[in-house]
Amino acid sequence: MTISRREWLWLAGACGATHLWARQGVSTPPEPLFAEVPASASGIEWVHDNAMSANHYLPETLGPGCAFLDFDNDGWMDIFLVNSGPSDFWKPPKPVRNALYKNNRDGTFTDVTEKAGVAGASFGMGVAVGDYENDGWPDIFVTAYGKCTLYKNNQDGTFTDVTEKAGVATPGWTTSAVWFDYDNDGLLDLFVCSFVDYSGEHKFECGDNRIGKKYYCIPRVFRPTASFLYHNNGDGTFTEVSKGTDIAKALGKGLGVVATDINNDGRMDMFVANDTVQNFLFVNRGPGPNRRWKWEEIALQAGVGFSESGQARSGMGVDASDLDNDGWQDMLVANVDHEMFSVYENNKDETFRDVAQANEVAQATRLLSGWGLKYFDYDNDGAVDLILANGHPDDMINEYSMQVKYKEPLLLFHQGDDHRLHNVSDQAGPAFKRFFPARGLAVGDYDNDGALDVLIGNNGGAPLLLSNHAGKGNNWLGLRLEGVHCNRDGVGAKICWTAGGKKRYRLKNNGGSYLSSHDPREVLGIGSALKIDELEIQWPGPGKQIDKLTNLPINRYVHVMEGKGILR
Amino acid sequence: MDMWRAIFLIVSLGILTLDAIAQTPQELVQDAISKQQAGDLEGAVREYRQFLKMHPEAAGVRSNLGAALAGLGQFAEAITEYKVALKQAPATPGLRLNLALAYYKTGRISDAAAKLVKVHEDSPENNQAILLLGDCYLRMGQNKDVIRLLRPEHQKNPDDMAIVYLLGTALIRDHQVDEGQALVDRILRNGESAEARFMLGSAKMEASDFAGAREELAKAIALNPNLPGVHVLYAQTLQITAGPEEAQKEFKAELAIDSYNYMANLQMGAMLRQDQKFDEAKQYLTRALETRPGDFAVRYQLAAIALSEGKVDEARSELESIVKESPQFTEAHVSLSLAYFRLKRPADGNREKSIVEKLTAEAQAKQPGVKAQ
Repeated sequence: MTISRREWLWLAGACGATHLWARQGVSTPPEPLFAEVPASASGIEWVHDNAMSANHYLPETLGPGCAFLDFDNDGWMDIFLVNSGPSDFWKPPKPVRNALYKNNRDGTFTDVTEKAGVAGASFGMGVAVGDYENDGWPDIFVTAYGKCTLYKNNQDGTFTDVTEKAGVATPGWTTSAVWFDYDNDGLLDLFVCSFVDYSGEHKFECGDNRIGKKYYCIPRVFRPTASFLYHNNGDGTFTEVSKGTDIAKALGKGLGVVATDINNDGRMDMFVANDTVQNFLFVNRGPGPNRRWKWEEIALQAGVGFSESGQARSGMGVDASDLDNDGWQDMLVANVDHEMFSVYENNKDETFRDVAQANEVAQATRLLSGWGLKYFDYDNDGAVDLILANGHPDDMINEYSMQVKYKEPLLLFHQGDDHRLHNVSDQAGPAFKRFFPARGLAVGDYDNDGALDVLIGNNGGAPLLLSNHAGKGNNWLGLRLEGVHCNRDGVGAKICWTAGGKKRYRLKNNGGSYLSSHDPREVLGIGSALKIDELEIQWPGPGKQIDKLTNLPINRYVHVMEGKGILR
Repeated sequence: MDMWRAIFLIVSLGILTLDAIAQTPQELVQDAISKQQAGDLEGAVREYRQFLKMHPEAAGVRSNLGAALAGLGQFAEAITEYKVALKQAPATPGLRLNLALAYYKTGRISDAAAKLVKVHEDSPENNQAILLLGDCYLRMGQNKDVIRLLRPEHQKNPDDMAIVYLLGTALIRDHQVDEGQALVDRILRNGESAEARFMLGSAKMEASDFAGAREELAKAIALNPNLPGVHVLYAQTLQITAGPEEAQKEFKAELAIDSYNYMANLQMGAMLRQDQKFDEAKQYLTRALETRPGDFAVRYQLAAIALSEGKVDEARSELESIVKESPQFTEAHVSLSLAYFRLKRPADGNREKSIVEKLTAEAQAKQPGVKAQ
């Protein structure tokens, strides 16, 4: 039997170690699984301005998103944070801007926003990072209420706003977005979630005249909208291609999106979480007649569109991963309080079943509203775990609810030997005993120790950076994939590795969480195994190259190029 | 007298049809009546049955047997006897009311109401029937019927607090809050009471002041934990403002008072279904269905359980029936569509899916934020 570091820490904390410390005269408590890195230590002084007003305009309560990205290609994860900004209902009394923090490689960060030219000038919401030009430099797409922005990476620490030129000036209110190559032509395309129709000079307001207070409208009251799919033309421009497809027909209130492959056909599909209307599962059916791409929306029949009571819920955060390691992508969607979150297990026939109860997720989330979230192997034991960032959208909820609060706790789940998720938040560290108005969440290894750290965007507050101390006892291998024929980010790559007699699967999804973008590298946990026996990477189209790698190092990152293996 | 005690004493005691005894002056029956009046109900039942073996046509005696059985809590058997007696002698005074009372006690509120309507038609001045019928309507959610029935009665008897209470509650639930509030004030003028707090709680629920409603209802429970319906409404505020555990505790408290409370059984069933405790959920839902036979909400919950349990064809059959009777029931169309897809009937699944989309679009178009644009 192998014991992961997390299990050891737990056992030590629960029984023997206390006695050991007492005998040795040491009173230091066990290291938390995740430790909060204060601004004084990280240098991240930026604070989100939610523009909260007495009128309670709905965009105020939805941000912010956040991202881990290596914008300067130095091998260290930098941080991008999205802020509000001028809009048709708010004129900031003082300048409000996004933030780009450069990683100083010593646990601290330096604000390089102004120099980089990514401060923004609209009411920002989320961020999606991807190398759409295949030049090896990550570009940044910022969604917004108002003008969204595509920042092209100039490869010199600066960016240029190419939104109009690229043809991705998306109207309305955009939220989450994802880069992925839906047609396997080797170029990243872009899907942008559209939320409600909040247009109009006079914003509809929801309020209780009896107590004279306005509150944030439930999105149900607003008109739904269709999301946008942009095809990458390969020349720095895009063409909106959803017209005539199910994507354009499906009127939703999109907040979260993940690109994944639910049926293992080698084409990336999309799962979109909608607020107060049904979720959408857009299955990629490939090219149809007249070369028009065919998308089939199958959420209802797949069992992921509505609750088991047949009701549309308030879907917000969303993710996908092979939770049970059977080679098929499972999914997750976070909802508002009293709706419970859903953990969808793939039935391998384009249908899913909700196993949130069996995974302790339903019970733990009954009174919570979930936004940012991520399936990830936080302790590198090889099994997928889960983190959830929560917070109620109504800042006045405390006035009428005994148990549901505006600020809510984070939740951490660990996958046990029984292949079920178990709530380990109590053991996760002091940050998990605090309460946050959390929204976006990104995971990334900012200190390159192989343990994925967590960044959380808080509405109207400072971001939360959590340093992962749970994964250090287990071995791992980090992959920086570089596509040659396929998209350079390797989105859609299928990774299979064997270590310690266990075979594991990973699909390089993209998107997931809420308004946020993650470290593009893949960290493969191998527990206490001392080597990886075999690693197979099946690159996405057009080449569909399969690379089999052996004699692999551990506990370090390697750069793997399609068809060429590890670059030394 | 406490207004609710007035209503429930009627229910508890039933009505002895002693007039009928004079037509069958036999020693056995006289002894049975004596026993019944002395509280020896089992002895009375035994002797009535003995007599009825010889004279099964004696409707009055059968009615007395029903009353004795009801007194023993054997309502199902009482109902059987009352029904036979009513068939034999439809004009027997009090018999139909007794049958209604037995239905009421077993939670068959719609059956009770049907009988009480007839009693009320035959005897418009029968106050017991009026009050009980009003309460049945209230329990069935037929607030407009309560108002129609009790508004004239309230004009005739403005000081009858039972009528004030039922009528006020119905008005509030029917969103006629101002008129309802005036009746609440009537009760409040009589001093602090559970009923007044209950009505205030109802009014605050109507106004979406859930925290305020929770406060009023907690006070009502403190004043009278046996006030019918108070735990249900309190549980509903807790569903919104607290958690399911707290709500379930209150629903169970209501069921301890009235095991056939429709809403408590429905909500318990729905919550347990959400927790995937299907067997337990079905027990509550079955009881809710006994109270309101054919109720869509209950049948839908049972169909959803069948779908979750993989009994797809059983679910399909029930859902088809539900959407036929209630074509605007979006959730039922969602589940029916899913059932068809699982049964590999994509054409039917897509047809239902289209209905879902149409109903959703219609509902969306009515939203205030859409209309404002």
